Amino acid sequence: MSPATAFLSAWALLSPAGLSAATGESISGKARSILETNCFACHGNTRMSGLDLRTAAAALEGGIRGPALVPGDAEASLLIGAVSGNGEFKMPPGGSSLSQSDIETLSEWIARGADWTDDAAPSPQSKWWSFRKPERPAVPDPNETAWVRNPIDAFVLAGLREAGLEPAEAAAPRTLARRAYFDLHGLPPSPTEIETFIRDDPSGAYERLVDRLLESERYGERWGRYWLDLVRYADTSGFETDHFYTSAWRYRDYVIESFNRDKPYTEFVREQIAADELWPTDMDLEGTLNLPAGKKENVKRRIGTSLFTLGAFPIEYTYYGDLYRSEWRAEAIDTIGSAFLGLTLECARCHDHKSDPITHRDYYRMTAFFAGSAEVEIPLVSLYDTQTSTRRFPLLEQARILKRMAKGSVKDLAAEERRELLARLGEAYLQAPEPYDSAKVLGYEGRVPQTYVLAHGDFRRKGDPVQPGFPAVLPSGPPLVEPDGESFVPKRRAALAEWMTSPDQPLLARVMVNRIWQHHFGEGIVRSPSNSGRQGEAPSHPELLDWLAVEFAERGWSVKEMHRLIMLSSTYRSASAAPPEAIEGDPDNRLFGRMNRRRLDADAIRDSILAVSGRLNLKMGGVGVILPLTKEEILAARMPYLWPPNPDPQEHNRRSIYLQAKRSLTVPMLQIFDAPDTARSCSRRETSTVAPQALAMMNSRFALDQAEAFADRLRRETGGAPATLVEAAWSTALGRPPEPEERETALAYLERNSLPRLCLMLLNMNEFLYVD
Amino acid sequence: MWTDESRRCFLRRSGLGIGWLAAMDLLGQSDQAGPLAARPAPLPASAKRVIHLFMQGGPSQVDTFDPKPLLNRLHGQHPPRSFGSEDFQNGKFHDLTLMGSKRTFARHGQSGMQVSDLFPHVARQADDIAVIRSNYHEGFTHSQAQFLIHNGWPRIGRPSLGSWILYGLGTENNNLPGFVVLLQGGVRSGPEVYGEGFLPAVYQGTSFRPGPDPILYLNPPPDRSLEQQRDFLDTLRTFNARHLRERSFDTDLEARLQSYELAFRMQMAAPEATDISAESAATKRLYGLDNPVSADFGGRCLLARRLVERGVRFVQVWSGNGQNAIDWDGHTGCDQNHLDRAAETDKAVAGLLADLKSRGMLDSTLVIWGGEFGRTPTSDGGRGRSEGRDHNPYGFTLWMAGGGVRGGKVIGSTDELGLRAAEHPVHLNDLHASILALLGLDHERLTYRHTGRDFRLTDVGGSTDLADRLRQA
Repeated sequence: MSPATAFLSAWALLSPAGLSAATGESISGKARSILETNCFACHGNTRMSGLDLRTAAAALEGGIRGPALVPGDAEASLLIGAVSGNGEFKMPPGGSSLSQSDIETLSEWIARGADWTDDAAPSPQSKWWSFRKPERPAVPDPNETAWVRNPIDAFVLAGLREAGLEPAEAAAPRTLARRAYFDLHGLPPSPTEIETFIRDDPSGAYERLVDRLLESERYGERWGRYWLDLVRYADTSGFETDHFYTSAWRYRDYVIESFNRDKPYTEFVREQIAADELWPTDMDLEGTLNLPAGKKENVKRRIGTSLFTLGAFPIEYTYYGDLYRSEWRAEAIDTIGSAFLGLTLECARCHDHKSDPITHRDYYRMTAFFAGSAEVEIPLVSLYDTQTSTRRFPLLEQARILKRMAKGSVKDLAAEERRELLARLGEAYLQAPEPYDSAKVLGYEGRVPQTYVLAHGDFRRKGDPVQPGFPAVLPSGPPLVEPDGESFVPKRRAALAEWMTSPDQPLLARVMVNRIWQHHFGEGIVRSPSNSGRQGEAPSHPELLDWLAVEFAERGWSVKEMHRLIMLSSTYRSASAAPPEAIEGDPDNRLFGRMNRRRLDADAIRDSILAVSGRLNLKMGGVGVILPLTKEEILAARMPYLWPPNPDPQEHNRRSIYLQAKRSLTVPMLQIFDAPDTARSCSRRETSTVAPQALAMMNSRFALDQAEAFADRLRRETGGAPATLVEAAWSTALGRPPEPEERETALAYLERNSLPRLCLMLLNMNEFLYVD
Repeated sequence: MWTDESRRCFLRRSGLGIGWLAAMDLLGQSDQAGPLAARPAPLPASAKRVIHLFMQGGPSQVDTFDPKPLLNRLHGQHPPRSFGSEDFQNGKFHDLTLMGSKRTFARHGQSGMQVSDLFPHVARQADDIAVIRSNYHEGFTHSQAQFLIHNGWPRIGRPSLGSWILYGLGTENNNLPGFVVLLQGGVRSGPEVYGEGFLPAVYQGTSFRPGPDPILYLNPPPDRSLEQQRDFLDTLRTFNARHLRERSFDTDLEARLQSYELAFRMQMAAPEATDISAESAATKRLYGLDNPVSADFGGRCLLARRLVERGVRFVQVWSGNGQNAIDWDGHTGCDQNHLDRAAETDKAVAGLLADLKSRGMLDSTLVIWGGEFGRTPTSDGGRGRSEGRDHNPYGFTLWMAGGGVRGGKVIGSTDELGLRAAEHPVHLNDLHASILALLGLDHERLTYRHTGRDFRLTDVGGSTDLADRLRQA
């Protein structure tokens, strides 16, 4: 095996053996699963050899070789001959074969008459729940008017009642406010904000709070962060070179703004996949002074496609050409498969997916949507500005100076003359306008190369040529009409985007509402948020999930509407504490009878510490900030000079989403609290509990500095009497006054220790790091 | 302290999967102290712990343990056509220029193993060492190769070898991390290379810094005395206990309380463990601490011995700081580069083996020496003008000692130029499978469920033939 072949084959993924079609199904269901997994890719939508195996009628009609099967006579059926290899030809083609038990199942099914039970279904889609289009289910009527505020509660209560359980009590107002702030902003409420809420007219106070929180720009920073995790956002390439992606931050800002503007989710998805094809634009001023608003808007949309320019790649001279291209396309498909569709596609890069009906061929049909696409750098200013604002010296001046210098080496010039010439050179440079803004986005590389199925994912082992197409198990997309040859401007990604956001797409809405739910409750209705396939978990409340998905689409794909819907439910407003019977009855809280207590994630921890210390700098946007780190913190960085800290200390106090995400070194404070590695899509951060977290919170420079700042703030705001200090410390950090017992302990501690140390202790409390 | 229910709950919350629980059931033993508790290996084990001496940058095999007389004879010529003409970097292999070794090899020990004059001290331990000359993998760049050697996968995101072993065996010292990394400086592939990947964070490698503050954030600031630190923790516990009381039973919160106690115990234990000043002058000399050239690496080797002595499961000692001139990446002047690195490491490596042996620990401690790949028998570019050697993952040398390995033998070979693995090729999956086997772990059963499937260190490959050969007399 040659090195690169083996290198790529290392990507081959193993699926646990023995996972055949879902068990416990009827024989016809089993047979259908086998056909779906093994045959539909070619004998479905694509009708290879004229054969479509998705319905009884089509299978009996058969293809060019005649009917695929003879009901009641397995031996006479072409299908059995083909899959067992006893006939004239063998199916599936190539090395893969059906297992003996699958062949037996198919034979038995045909012998019993080949009953196609779901023939009546209008669409030839899978039986698997996530591949069926969500339909609005009937809302249960649990005969409960007081607790059920909206249909979410009706579904949840029905589930609880079935298990003989009751929902937890409502959370106390302060608890609820703190929860809402962390959920929507990732920051604790200030004492004033809490008091405003408590003192507000109880009727509608909470609704108004939710509205206020959704209107704040802090919202986009919190929810944009979740999205950035999902699309493995970082500012550098990783690996040894850790190449800096100079304009990646524009994508980060684009995401934050999209959430803040409540951009319809389908539009958000379409922009990221194909803004350049769907909203093409040029930068011609067309006789006006400023770029027309529509053009500006379209350029902004196009920043969304930067999603495909910021993955983790070993950018070195040995990594180029077809190798790079094939890796890049695969990474693009894996990322959008996970992020948008909740599908783990990467298994199919090397072989047919073992459990989901996604074939090896499907995978390359999907990558073909990206054939011909490439990273391009585009100006973000008008053509006119591009021409006038380059940082070229005024040519004449430059020429004059160089000519003068050419007479002798610079060293030979008289000191004064040299100084003067250099000064003029510098002056000319400084007077030239700034270079114009530009961004790396997706565009075309000039031709659309033929895509091939790649054996074991190796770019040199080309198999059959394939055209862009969608997995057979999912609804088909718009037809793609293209000229012959490779020289044309494709609209492939536009087709992909349309397909992904079409009303028939079963996954997009479900996956997104599940993610929204997950970030509100700590767990999704489906607990494997980026795996809706057979390896993933089944939803705990399938009807509720479908109901939410239908609502999402009908409410114009508004994410903020979904927050309102969820947060105004009684389900969301429940306390996290529950009686022992309730916990025993549902230890994992799969029925959502109570709120899950959650530890803050790394970003929220750092941001909250800054908020409490009073140092938080709420400046938005712009190039990522590099924090100053100690020598010990930076030890493992390959080259310390790759970590040039931002000289402005104010910048060090910005929200974590604005820190530069370097793949080669994560800021230790964030890494210790489970920041994602940004190598691939992350739908759910781990919450580990390890000793280095305690050490960081007690001893790190950051924790100590912020504790000092917190103490200064308390002294400044309260005047300094111990009792008032303690009072203010508690309400600032925890959003509540201290209990008498706590006040006593704190005051006694203050007699032995300094205020900063008490402040540090507050930051170390479980109550500070956990949300009820 | 841990009821069955609370343990299950803790494992679940701490992200521990079914794989681990199944492994526990398999062993039929109950876990007394959470996921890091020491547990017996499921298969017969000859090694209990590992010290991995990692030569960052990639040492050249033809200048160290794999002499090639033909290469010296063909010095300055293009490789014969019989060695193939495949694409090699920017050109064809046969267009490159062969470069012989300037080192002299001699036979050492009863076994007569050939070791170059770079390593006079290690050569004296030849009878304890098993040299494997036929390693290979598919990562041509440093970062891919480092990820492969450490994590079995060419990218970020998979657990490191040490993490897998810790996950399989736990650790014997609850007050120290079970997987410790002793760096010289930078890491070419970044710190993820000793990360836990998708395993729970308790299995991550912890980098110990030189000096009195070995673990990041270990020590309180100077104005907080030990008593004050204890007072801080006790008062914090009072507040946290009250918070916990109001929230009935919550294993997450409880685990966090425990983590503060562990942090405190670490604060006590780590400085003692890392204080090499307590060692005798003779021991220090053994590791080359009396020579400024070898003192740095020697100090870390000595520290490694102190850590394994205290029950740490896996210690990695790095030579090289990730910059060409200060690691084994001899692209220019490879010979001088290797002379410099050898001067820094030879005494200490030999000292470590001797010290472990005299303490009776070598039998149960597996010592692994090697880089992320080897180097080419050809000159690195410049049509022979450069005296450097390029990366070579196609055939390179590692050696192992201790932990049940019978020394004084050479396993496998490369071709006559030292380019590709020839006899008994050992793929990195085989290497990993065999290391796990020496520790009594089955590489096919040490799995962790992540994103819906069971992952293992060896992915879909791996054979333990190498382990059998290493154990054979």
